[in-house]
Amino acid sequence: MSEQTKTEGTGITRRRALETTALAAATAIVGFPTVLRAQEPVTLRIAGTGVNAYNEIAEKAKEDLGFNIQYTTLVSDDVVKRAVTQPTSFDLLDVEYWMIKKIVPAGTLLGMDTKRIALFDEIVPIFTKGELPDGTKIADQGTAPFEVSFLEEEGGKTFASGATEFMTAIPTVYNADTLGIRPDLIGRPIESWTELLNPEFQGKASILNIPSIGIMDAAMVCEAMGAVTYADKGNMTKEEIDQTIAILTEAKKDGQFRAFWKDFNESVNLMASGEVVIQSMWSPAVTAVRQQGIPCVYQPLKEGYRAWAAGLTVPVHLDDRMRDAAYEFVNWYISGWVGAFLNRQGYYTAVLETAEEYMTPNEWGFWMEGQPATAPILSPTGELLDEPGAVRDGGSYWERMGAVACWNAVMDEDRYMVRKWNEFIAA
Amino acid sequence: MGERRSASFYLLLAVFTLFVLFIYGPILTIVVLSFQGPTGGLVFPMRGVSLHWFAELFRPQSIGDIGGAFQRSLALGLITMVLTVLFSFLAGLAFRRRFRGATLLFYIAIASLIMPSIVVSLGIGAAFELLGMPRNWYGSALGAHLTWTLPFGLLIMFAVFNRFNPAYEEAARDQGASGWQTIRHVVLPIVAPSLLGVALFSFTLSYDEVARSSQATGFENTLPLELLAMQTNATTPVIYALGTLTTALSFIVIVTTITGVLWLRRRAARPRTR
Amino acid sequence: MRALAPYLQALPLALVFATFFLVPVSLVVVVSFFDYQTYQVLIPDFVFFNYVDVFTSNVTYRTYLNTLKFCLLTWAITLILGFTIAYFLAFEIRSVPLQIFCFLLCTIPFWTSNVIRMIAWIPFLGRNGLVNETLLAWGVIDAPIDWLLYSDFTVVLGYVHLYTLFMIVPIFNSMLRIDPALLEAARDQGASAFQVLTNVVIPLAKPGIAIGSIFVVAIVMGDFVTVNVLGGGQIASVGKTIATELSYLQFPPAAANAVVLLGVTILMILALIRIVDIRKEL
Repeated sequence: MSEQTKTEGTGITRRRALETTALAAATAIVGFPTVLRAQEPVTLRIAGTGVNAYNEIAEKAKEDLGFNIQYTTLVSDDVVKRAVTQPTSFDLLDVEYWMIKKIVPAGTLLGMDTKRIALFDEIVPIFTKGELPDGTKIADQGTAPFEVSFLEEEGGKTFASGATEFMTAIPTVYNADTLGIRPDLIGRPIESWTELLNPEFQGKASILNIPSIGIMDAAMVCEAMGAVTYADKGNMTKEEIDQTIAILTEAKKDGQFRAFWKDFNESVNLMASGEVVIQSMWSPAVTAVRQQGIPCVYQPLKEGYRAWAAGLTVPVHLDDRMRDAAYEFVNWYISGWVGAFLNRQGYYTAVLETAEEYMTPNEWGFWMEGQPATAPILSPTGELLDEPGAVRDGGSYWERMGAVACWNAVMDEDRYMVRKWNEFIAA
Repeated sequence: MGERRSASFYLLLAVFTLFVLFIYGPILTIVVLSFQGPTGGLVFPMRGVSLHWFAELFRPQSIGDIGGAFQRSLALGLITMVLTVLFSFLAGLAFRRRFRGATLLFYIAIASLIMPSIVVSLGIGAAFELLGMPRNWYGSALGAHLTWTLPFGLLIMFAVFNRFNPAYEEAARDQGASGWQTIRHVVLPIVAPSLLGVALFSFTLSYDEVARSSQATGFENTLPLELLAMQTNATTPVIYALGTLTTALSFIVIVTTITGVLWLRRRAARPRTR
Repeated sequence: MRALAPYLQALPLALVFATFFLVPVSLVVVVSFFDYQTYQVLIPDFVFFNYVDVFTSNVTYRTYLNTLKFCLLTWAITLILGFTIAYFLAFEIRSVPLQIFCFLLCTIPFWTSNVIRMIAWIPFLGRNGLVNETLLAWGVIDAPIDWLLYSDFTVVLGYVHLYTLFMIVPIFNSMLRIDPALLEAARDQGASAFQVLTNVVIPLAKPGIAIGSIFVVAIVMGDFVTVNVLGGGQIASVGKTIATELSYLQFPPAAANAVVLLGVTILMILALIRIVDIRKEL
């Protein structure tokens, strides 16, 4: 800590020096409040799911910024509840975009001033314009991040229809989700979402029991089966909800599902133990199964992916000093090191260029470009994930993000949907 | 011991043994799986045998803070234990006499026990937020735990004082003992074993509590909440190592204590027999 | 001063309940009459439709029936098991240290967090779990038994596993107060073992039985963790419905559900207390 105070200036330049001149220029314009350094080290309390609450990130932040990072990891459901009912219990919220749609109207979030985000212009346009970096429009079914990215004003309770100076959250990670399978126990190619309800896998399938996400997986299945035609999967009508739930309920009664999972880890255990051979899954969960030496594939499907995204944002209660610290942390978060760390988990980071600088060409090629690995692929904690020659499931960033069909969603009929979902679980 | 044993004794012993085996079933799996090899997961098959996860337990985790959460839960359990014993003992004394509101208080205690935990928790969380008070494990969560352990303690106290003969106290008072002396030298020694039971139980209840703490804990999680949150990312057999260690330590402490007590007793008994 | 004593003695308990139970729960009751929207969590109002929703949905009745089923099964099993074990500990084991040891033996598993123990049920009962593997190895079965995990059976098993101790402790406590001489006397009078049990032990252990029952009924009625994990998320319970509604910020209907659940549970417990008036018997 004392070392941090002494080397304040050099510490920053040393790190910044690694970055491109454009970025450095941007930083110079925004600058960092030096007053922070004179006082006690800042402790930032970050609440969110455990998805990216890695202690490695906290340690690195301590090293680079001198901040103490404390995580409160919460189950996804509790994040929304915590943000709405106990906004003073955290200084930064690590939040998913569909949750934002529920939290912002409660007025507990301040939003992020884009003028203070050095790399704002480098953030992938998925969040700022609703398009991929090459300009093609990304799917907007569901709660697409772009729809809830901007506020009319700081601390506002309504979303702006276009870009404004205030972002609800600065995006950190996102990914394209699909079904995870056990190729060894299935023994044939899987190509479509319909396979989730294929009677062949009776008693060996699972779907996740987080309504906002589960309903989207269900919709992907029903649409692929041709059983339901949706005007917008991400914003269903009551009839569409009824039809979807009816199909799920029937499958449940026929014993299709072994279990429903709510936590990341449950999905890992279901798959690793062989209780389930096909299920909704998240990318690092597939990695976790594979790390145990059990074959598991994150199967690309012809109907496309269900995507999600998360970001960091501040609650209204912060004083100036804490807010400055929060901004410094967020700026640091997208400045490269963390991005590379998260990319190596199988996620995507919001600012690609800076992350690339912290990854080896082999890693970048494997995770981002869909190239065969030229050297062993290691996890951030050093475990072997893939041998040389392996290719990432689903291929490159473009192949995966370009094939997104919908986003995790909060619908207008959310209240009805949750009620119906409960009935399905109870059926 | 050592006297004749009826057939019913062996039957009951069998039931008891089976029950113990049953409650140790998951513990057995935990112990076995905590020796997983470094690439092993939380379920079978075993992938090698190692002490890797015990070593990992003492290193900082990638996700979650087991050490800190463990300390908090231990402290919270102990505080809850002391307060529960004290408050329920006092209330137990109170309920031996008539006082206005006794029935009401009794029903409130029962209601507190049966109210779905998650609702109590939500209420406490919301009330603290409304009043602008910070939630933390030693404040709001402690309160939440007490709404759970106190009814338990109170009911046990009822069962204890139920057949407590007031003649003992009257005798003490006749001998000129003050109210405090009566409690200290007459009542306490008689109810001590039950108080021990209340203590043991309130600690266990608090240490393992999830639902009531969930909305009342504030920023720093208790151990069960931290473990639960760790489920939102890849969890390793580290948590099994924790389970194995906890169980082993508990055994060691208990066996040592009981042996110690027996030894002390024997020593204390010896001079008298001489 | 003597007249004041009971008030002072009851004060800490009363204060705790006032602060951490009455105030928060009143808040919940008030909220149960609020309106709500997807994007606005609480709209102060005085409406009954949260209750109407609860009572008009046939899912509610099915869920309650399901929860009641679990409750009755668990109660019956834990009662018989708990009583038997308490009897064993109280009357068959006569050395106090040994009694304490047996008790602690039953308590130790609870010091390994329930969260961890719950996860351990999968490798214990799963298709490739210890039980199935053992039975397969012994040739008792040809194929793994599926219903060992993620079924009604598992949920009841989990409850019995967790809550039998709650039955043992109060029953044991009240049995300790039974003078063994009473049993001797009954036997000397020619009572059969069964008669001793029904005419002496059970009546005298009634308060303990009632207290244990209150615990088990109360906990199982409100549970949402065990049923979720061991039921594989596929089995409904009232507590789970409330938990899901809460997680979707539907506070008013959750509050209404909670109030209804509280009512039902109180009715059940009142019925119990009618059979055994705990306070009078004490």
